[in-house]
Amino acid sequence: MILTASWIIGLIRRRPANLVGAIVGVGLAVALLACLGGFIDSSLKTMTAEAISALPIDWQILLNSPADEEEVRAAIQKADPQATMEPVLYADVPALVAKTGETVQTTGTATVLGVYPYYINTFRTEVAPMVGVDHGVLAAQQTASNLHVSVGDRVTIQRAGGLPPVDVRIEGIISLPDAGSIFQKIGAPPGASPQAPPDNVIVLPVQKWRDLFLEQMAVQPDSARSEVHVRTARLDLPPTPEAAYAWELGRAHHLELSMTGRGVVGDNLAARLASVRVDALYARVLFLFLGLPGLLVAALLTLGIASSGAARRRQQQALLRTRGASVRMILTLASAEAAFAGIGGGLFGALLTLAVRVAFKTALGVSFAGTGRWVLIASCVGLVLAFAAILRPAWDEAHRLTVAAARKVSPANSNPLWQRRWLDFGLLAVAGLLLWWMSRTGYELVLAPEGTVSTSVHYEAFVGPFCLWVGAMLVTLRFFRMILKQGLPLATKLRLPPFAGRLSRIIAAGLARQRQPLTRAMALVALAFSFAVSTAIFNATYQAQSRVDAQLTNGADVAVSGISSEAVAADLLSKLESLPHVGAARPMLHGYAYVGNDLQDIYGIDPKTLGEATQLADAYFADGGAHAALTRLEDQPDGVLASAETVSDFQLRRGDELNLRLRSAPNSEYHFVPFRFIGIVREFPTAPKDSFLVVNSAYLLSRALSTAEWIILIRTDSDPSLVATEVSRITGRIAGLRVSDIGSAQRQINSSLSAIDLSGLTLLELSFAIVFVAGATGLALFLSLGERRRSFAILSALGAKKRQLAAFMWSEAVTILVGGGLVGVCLGWVVAFALVKVLAGAFDPPPEFLTVPWAYLWLLCGAAAVLTAAGITLHLRKLVREPVVSDLRSGV
Amino acid sequence: MDKILLSLDDVSRYFADGRLERPALRHISCNVAVGACIAISGPSGSGKSTLLHIMAGLDKPTSGLVTWPALGQEIDLRPDEICLIPQTPSLLPALTVLENVELCWLLSKGNEAEARVSALRALERLGLLLIVNRLPEELSGGQLQRVAAARAIVCEPRLILADEPTGQLDSVTGSRLIEALVDTAANSNAALVVATHDSAVANRMIVQWHIARGKLEQSPT
Repeated sequence: MILTASWIIGLIRRRPANLVGAIVGVGLAVALLACLGGFIDSSLKTMTAEAISALPIDWQILLNSPADEEEVRAAIQKADPQATMEPVLYADVPALVAKTGETVQTTGTATVLGVYPYYINTFRTEVAPMVGVDHGVLAAQQTASNLHVSVGDRVTIQRAGGLPPVDVRIEGIISLPDAGSIFQKIGAPPGASPQAPPDNVIVLPVQKWRDLFLEQMAVQPDSARSEVHVRTARLDLPPTPEAAYAWELGRAHHLELSMTGRGVVGDNLAARLASVRVDALYARVLFLFLGLPGLLVAALLTLGIASSGAARRRQQQALLRTRGASVRMILTLASAEAAFAGIGGGLFGALLTLAVRVAFKTALGVSFAGTGRWVLIASCVGLVLAFAAILRPAWDEAHRLTVAAARKVSPANSNPLWQRRWLDFGLLAVAGLLLWWMSRTGYELVLAPEGTVSTSVHYEAFVGPFCLWVGAMLVTLRFFRMILKQGLPLATKLRLPPFAGRLSRIIAAGLARQRQPLTRAMALVALAFSFAVSTAIFNATYQAQSRVDAQLTNGADVAVSGISSEAVAADLLSKLESLPHVGAARPMLHGYAYVGNDLQDIYGIDPKTLGEATQLADAYFADGGAHAALTRLEDQPDGVLASAETVSDFQLRRGDELNLRLRSAPNSEYHFVPFRFIGIVREFPTAPKDSFLVVNSAYLLSRALSTAEWIILIRTDSDPSLVATEVSRITGRIAGLRVSDIGSAQRQINSSLSAIDLSGLTLLELSFAIVFVAGATGLALFLSLGERRRSFAILSALGAKKRQLAAFMWSEAVTILVGGGLVGVCLGWVVAFALVKVLAGAFDPPPEFLTVPWAYLWLLCGAAAVLTAAGITLHLRKLVREPVVSDLRSGV
Repeated sequence: MDKILLSLDDVSRYFADGRLERPALRHISCNVAVGACIAISGPSGSGKSTLLHIMAGLDKPTSGLVTWPALGQEIDLRPDEICLIPQTPSLLPALTVLENVELCWLLSKGNEAEARVSALRALERLGLLLIVNRLPEELSGGQLQRVAAARAIVCEPRLILADEPTGQLDSVTGSRLIEALVDTAANSNAALVVATHDSAVANRMIVQWHIARGKLEQSPT
């Protein structure tokens, strides 16, 4: 015990740098694992919370009969005593009619809702009052526009079942932002396409609805129905989306059972969680893809730092054995050192985690949940790592080497088994085959079938990138060995810098003989660089795609929607174009058209100018990219670009005539308009992901499309949110207009991979990556030079001047830094490319090229160079300023 | 009077030992002249190595003055003017025997072709030509010491300081090594200072100094 304590005290006093290096390495690994773990937990929890926070109605329960309402309410109360619920009555009617002046407007089929006054308070986001009162007879904005009515006007409701029409007086205009949910078809089988909400909606107080439609209900029961809308307390909802989905599905099934057939549950909460569930799986995959290499680098860095003192440790052990110490004693001392480094690293890692946690909370407002648990897990991993780094080599040496062999200073340079068996090229071949197969077959990484609890992630997809990573690293090692063995003498012959001085032959010969530790150091640098570069490139590409996705959703940097007439659009356009920082503002028409019986979004654009206001990427269009598609549309006035789904559903071929049913003024009735199919559009600004059409706006207007809205897309060179505020000032006086910017769209997207906010994770990883690169270059070099201090002391004693000592150190440093750095950057690039390929299905739309964050890469290289220079300067200063006698006297 | 290469005037050297200061050298004054052949003998721990380190300019005295009147400034002394053969193995592990010896030449004079010729000549003088391509770890303790000696004489310095050069050698090899050092010193008119506790080695020198507990006793020449 006393000997062990003396040993540790001796290490602290004599070799603090090595011990601190090992502690720092273990600490970094612990901190990274703890931060990543906490971040994953926190992200998944946030994903669940954010996904359902804006969901107003958890359950929509379709009653078999209005008479069952009490029993159903009781069942809901039993399932969730704190649930709030409101009944909603629906009646489908053949038409609404309004007379304004001399003209009479008649709509198609409409739906009349009956709600209690409390409904608007309970489900605030479902009904948004725009003009007039918020309870009474309310017309949806689109309906009011179709009928040309406003508050105070009368509307005639044509009732079904041959009943006489009834008149109501409009008391308010509302919008129904979540109409898709309110009018969803409850009990539709999984995978069924969503039902389009009705074009015309009137909302009545329940009593009035009953007065007008109970009779219709009796005469034609299928024309009316009752629902109960429920918001549950969500008290026991598990934090992760997968668990929450399973829990919610079970709860809804249980409610259906307890209602004994009186109602069918439309489970909006489960539907929302189902979509987030896929995102959560992707998030896990991403965390693994990005986090695991980081942990591996941290572990290898720790092993590398610990191994920088291996030669000295080996000699010390040999000395102990010479003096009679048993193997057990040697291993006890090594265990004590490992435990010290492990516990110290754990404490350092915990402090670092705390610091990162505080920094993230302060700077980004991101909090990590359950960090304590992760610190504990990570500390155990750190302890194992410390034992692997210190005890394992001691064990090997104590059991394998003779004392004489252990006392040798220069390591053996024989080729390892993997190199002799060509394992590196084998792994690369496997990686190439797997990646080729995955890109060819459109591999689905994540599977989460709708309506089932089970989900699956194809973790075997990791095998390709993993083989690529390991294989490339081994090839790198082989390459480094070859370069050090044959390249260095060649560099000396060719007088390449830094091997151009008169000492270069000697230096190169020395480095070539130390190729094993040098190869390890270069590999470590390459590994750290590859991790940093792959993470940075993947992150930049991801952020760029996230922005593209947000721009697709929002339409442009800033978008103004809900413009009801061409005149208003033209007036606004002139005002918006004169705003500062507005690069371009272009209008676009949006309406609906029937393709067969399928109602689809239709967009009218000016193909010549729309690209000035928003990005129209080549990936959005099949057959030749954006320019070709838009030129075709420009050349063909009646041309139509259709979504891939539409083309597939209707077996369209280029040149086919496509008759769309469009609603036209003045009678707002649908009629056929002929178009010519000219190509496939995969994505389009503001368009849905499934079915839509893009046509020339001039042609669309010439066929008098009514009930369409105008959207103005704005490109800005400034902060979109600030421009959006300016735009809102102009549009504020016009009712029904909505202004949105790309930032808010980015925050609201919740149906794709881009929903996962990687910025926190990647900031964490990129920060650690810089530390790893610093550790692999500056710290490793500092420790390595420190280990060979006696060699430099001998050089100094022989009379080597400062510049000659520097030549020795710089030659080694440049070999490690340039060799390792260059290979690392290339490797990182390849790994980022492979990651993007593997996750290609997750990007929406897929990236056309990798985005390279040059500033970060320069920062990385700069940090490595500066830290290397610092490591050398420190050593040189110590060698020159302090007497080298003590190093000369020491035998090891 | 002979030209003075090295002069120590009332030199003391103390080493910190916890709170105490342990004296290694106490008030030593001496001169080393051109062509001198001096043995410094004394028991282990008497201060021989410390004295040689101070003479070589590798260590600084706690008090007193060290000068090299015929050699120049402390910073320019090694390896052209002074060369030290340390007591412990001092070859660079990653370099071969030849490269280790060449290195010393390259550090001072620089010409690569001459470096090889001079190194081979020095190695030949010490009977080491057969092992020129070996690495230090492949050598015995005696061979290591002889290579260190070859490295010391390759630059033909004007003051050779040898710290227990025969400590790990048998008497015949030790004798050859001392012979080579003495010859080199004589041929280049250099001074040779050998720290040793071997009386046979000490007797080969013209002058014997004795050091005990940091105090130097100079016997008359």
